[in-house]
Amino acid sequence: MSWVTNGPLITVQVMSGLSVGMLLFLVSVGMSLIFGVTRIVNLAHGCFYMVGAYLMVTLVEVLPDRPWAFWLALLVAPLGVAVLGGVIEMGLLRLIYHRDPLMQLILTFGLILVIGTLVLLAWGPDNKSVSRPEALAGSVKIFGQPFPSYYVLVLVLAPAVAVALWLVFYRTRWGMLVRAATVDREMLGALGVNVAALYTQVFMFGSWLAGFGGALAAPTVAVALGMDGDVLTTAFVVVVIGGLGSFAGSFIGALLVGLLQSFGILVFPAISIVLLFALMAVVLIVRPWGLLGRPEP
Amino acid sequence: MRTRSRFPTTTLAILTLLLVVAATAGPAAAQGKPIRIGEINSYSGLATVYTFPYKEGLLMGAKEINDAGGVLGRPIEFIFRDDKLKPDEAVKAARELVGQEKVDFLAGCISSGVGLAISAYAKEAKTLYFATHCQTSRLTWDDGHRYIAHTTNNVNQYIRALAKKAATLPYKKWAHISPDYEYGHNVWDEFIAYLKQLKPDVQVMQENWPKLGETDHSSYVTALLQSNAEAFISAVWGAQEIAFVKQARPFGLFEKVKYVSASVGNPDELDPLGKEAPIGALTPGFAWYDEGMQKRHPKLAEWVKKYEARTKKEPTLGASWGYASAHIIAEAIKRAKSAETDKVIAALSEGYEMEFPWGKVIMRGCDMQAIPPQWTGVVKMNAQGKPVLGDIEETHGKDVIRSCDEVAKLRAAAADKKK
Amino acid sequence: MSPARWLGLLIVVLAVAPLALPPFFLQLLTEIAIVGLFATAFNLLMGFGGMVSFGHAAYFALGAYTAALLVKRAAVPLLLALPAAPVVAAAGALLFGFFIVRLSHTYFAMLSLAFAQIVFTVIFKWKALTGGDDGLLDVWPPSLLKSPAAYYYFTLAIVGLSLLALHAIVDSPFGYALKSVRENPRRARYIGIDVRRHQLAAFVISGAFSGLAGGLFAFYNGSVFPDFAYFTKSFEPLTVALLGGVQSFFGPLAGAFGFKILEWLVSRQWPVYWPLFLGGIVVVVIVLLPSGFVGLVGGRLWRTRPSKG
Repeated sequence: MSWVTNGPLITVQVMSGLSVGMLLFLVSVGMSLIFGVTRIVNLAHGCFYMVGAYLMVTLVEVLPDRPWAFWLALLVAPLGVAVLGGVIEMGLLRLIYHRDPLMQLILTFGLILVIGTLVLLAWGPDNKSVSRPEALAGSVKIFGQPFPSYYVLVLVLAPAVAVALWLVFYRTRWGMLVRAATVDREMLGALGVNVAALYTQVFMFGSWLAGFGGALAAPTVAVALGMDGDVLTTAFVVVVIGGLGSFAGSFIGALLVGLLQSFGILVFPAISIVLLFALMAVVLIVRPWGLLGRPEP
Repeated sequence: MRTRSRFPTTTLAILTLLLVVAATAGPAAAQGKPIRIGEINSYSGLATVYTFPYKEGLLMGAKEINDAGGVLGRPIEFIFRDDKLKPDEAVKAARELVGQEKVDFLAGCISSGVGLAISAYAKEAKTLYFATHCQTSRLTWDDGHRYIAHTTNNVNQYIRALAKKAATLPYKKWAHISPDYEYGHNVWDEFIAYLKQLKPDVQVMQENWPKLGETDHSSYVTALLQSNAEAFISAVWGAQEIAFVKQARPFGLFEKVKYVSASVGNPDELDPLGKEAPIGALTPGFAWYDEGMQKRHPKLAEWVKKYEARTKKEPTLGASWGYASAHIIAEAIKRAKSAETDKVIAALSEGYEMEFPWGKVIMRGCDMQAIPPQWTGVVKMNAQGKPVLGDIEETHGKDVIRSCDEVAKLRAAAADKKK
Repeated sequence: MSPARWLGLLIVVLAVAPLALPPFFLQLLTEIAIVGLFATAFNLLMGFGGMVSFGHAAYFALGAYTAALLVKRAAVPLLLALPAAPVVAAAGALLFGFFIVRLSHTYFAMLSLAFAQIVFTVIFKWKALTGGDDGLLDVWPPSLLKSPAAYYYFTLAIVGLSLLALHAIVDSPFGYALKSVRENPRRARYIGIDVRRHQLAAFVISGAFSGLAGGLFAFYNGSVFPDFAYFTKSFEPLTVALLGGVQSFFGPLAGAFGFKILEWLVSRQWPVYWPLFLGGIVVVVIVLLPSGFVGLVGGRLWRTRPSKG
């Protein structure tokens, strides 16, 4: 590991870790948001990510081979996932809100199996891929080291989304309603807010975020069956580390995990399989509600 | 009171269900004409990208055999079960196929763990098992026994063939990236051992062991760039290798360090990569489209056409294995002049050769291991802008595979360890 | 007919099954019994204790590997190796449970998952001891118990005794204390129940019987692999208990029966569609059948709490 003292290399490595963390943040914050308001741990969140990536593949295939096609696909794919989320919320989740949270969680687990098979039936078993747009296919030089241009996009776009999210939650009326719902749903309903509609909106928004994460990540990974499992586990760990329902927690958790995966593999190669879980175990032992989570009422 | 009265009815219903199931789920046909082979593989989930074409090849081979009159006048029939990529599910399926369906033979596997589990069961049940897709050399060597035959390539052969070609390249400093599980270790161990044998001055600069299914390889890419290696071999495969290549390219890895891969030449990886494919990479592969291949093997084009007519898709390496397996199994039964397990084992132990559209496959008697031709090629972009393999060089597994004596020593060593 | 008479009838049917059923079905019933035990042990925590664990595969695997290793490496006979399985699993449950029970809800589940993944990693990487992902092969019971009928009776006996023990625990003062902890931990604490102690004890008992199920499974399957500890295995007792009904003691067992039969029938015909089918059933059961199969059957017998859905 002679490069530990190599400044430029470390910089590039940190930036890679942050990019991965940022993509993770997009998925995790959606999950955390959904939990914060509806109290449902949405295990199907990884599927939303996957569908976003697969929709990206299809859109890029059917759109003409022009520079703007990629950006249009990036815009449209997450909308498709939001629609899927809306259908699931209105068709299924609404029926079980009054039930034990455990049952709701297990229902979303059942959804994983259903959506996974539907994806196999719709897109087939073959591996797929989305090419990076021409303009971003190469690399830029950071202190002389090559750094993928596409990651620059991620490093710009994802934090922009994070800022936009913060503005939505803390500067709009809708955001205020969402925050109120995470504290006391019943009171909100008593004040005359249409909580059912709010739930649907939040769920769709969360799905949109996951779909956007998947669409944005698609050019950096393989779009294949099973990608939902990987991202679900990681996002779940991020959300738990950060604290369920905490926006800032998701952000910090995502960055931590992104950097851990970047560097941890080099420092602890033998246990790379379990590094993530080891981190989560340590955090939970020290802070039982995650870093910034609150105890259940 | 309502609940009390429902209990008896429903318990009766459950018991009846049990009896109905027992009665109707008996063996599909009485012991008679068809030769039945229970095939266990992964037909759900993410392995389907490999097993679907393999199954097509298998069924295509079976159809050819049956259209030509079958084996010993009897049609050959495959009965499929899904192992869900779990060894214990495979054992359960094997039990059903042997105990309930009363199949004559077992076949299948894609995951090495599954193959080993089925093999252990086959040994116990004294049923002959043809491992048809999984690659581990342990099947017929370290964990080999009387009741298992391997009808396709094993890791030892094709990695040694790759190493043989790699030894002709002017690189002495090598690194690798391999997934941290049995297959990954197997590939690296075989590759570096044979490479060093052929080229003693080879140096290992760095080892990288990402977990199987890793999604972010950027730190490994960085490490490889700093390793001072001239070349590296990757045992990473499938979706993971696609991700690796996409992530490594913009870092300029392939320009700095020569890329040798155990699997990137397969269409399930090259096709999705498209213009991001690693041009210049050295890799094994079934390049049926290559002009040189088709010239050397005149029957190949016709086989491909037949496969495409059947499936509307291009064949893969797995499809060729499925096809070959069906024929190899049929040939063994033919030579035994019987479908009885002991006689077929005897026929396999004598060994035989078969000609396929892609060359000669030897079934070696001492370990019942198939030895097919081996190819290495270089990734290129064809005229249509699609990545393919070119500069195909062909050798044969028999030139590199461990000898019967070496295998005997391996088995003895493994048996000692178990004591 | 009273519940006891029905139980008696069931026992008689199971006892004579080998005379009527072909060996494969005996093996299927054996597997159902083992899974039923695992799910019932799991449900001690979930249904009765109100604690959902995502990491129970760890204890199952610890039991399976303990039994397999003792038989293969130390030539210990099965009758000594099998009891060792729940002991080692209980030790693991004690060690991990100590940390896990201090958390609640989702955090509880996730920490249990983390520990299970750690167990998986140890098994996977410690190749010299466990064989890594090659697994341990040729783990068969001694010839006396090897035939399907013999192992079937053996498993039924062990599972039957275990269920008796578990039922006794559930119906004991300890069991009632546990249920009160589930209903309202604060109130339980006010009346003097040591919440953490009870939860940890339940965790250890649950882990022990899961380990016993693992040990039985090792010999049934003939080989053990690291994926016995992988978190996807943890969802099996969860799904099975849910389908059968988590509110009743025999729910998980009924769920095991229904699930395994369904899985066998569907998977052999339409393997690609099995996950879709399973997912669909889970969704349907949760939405339409709050009490699982047993609820459908009217399992007011041995019900643990009023139907809350």
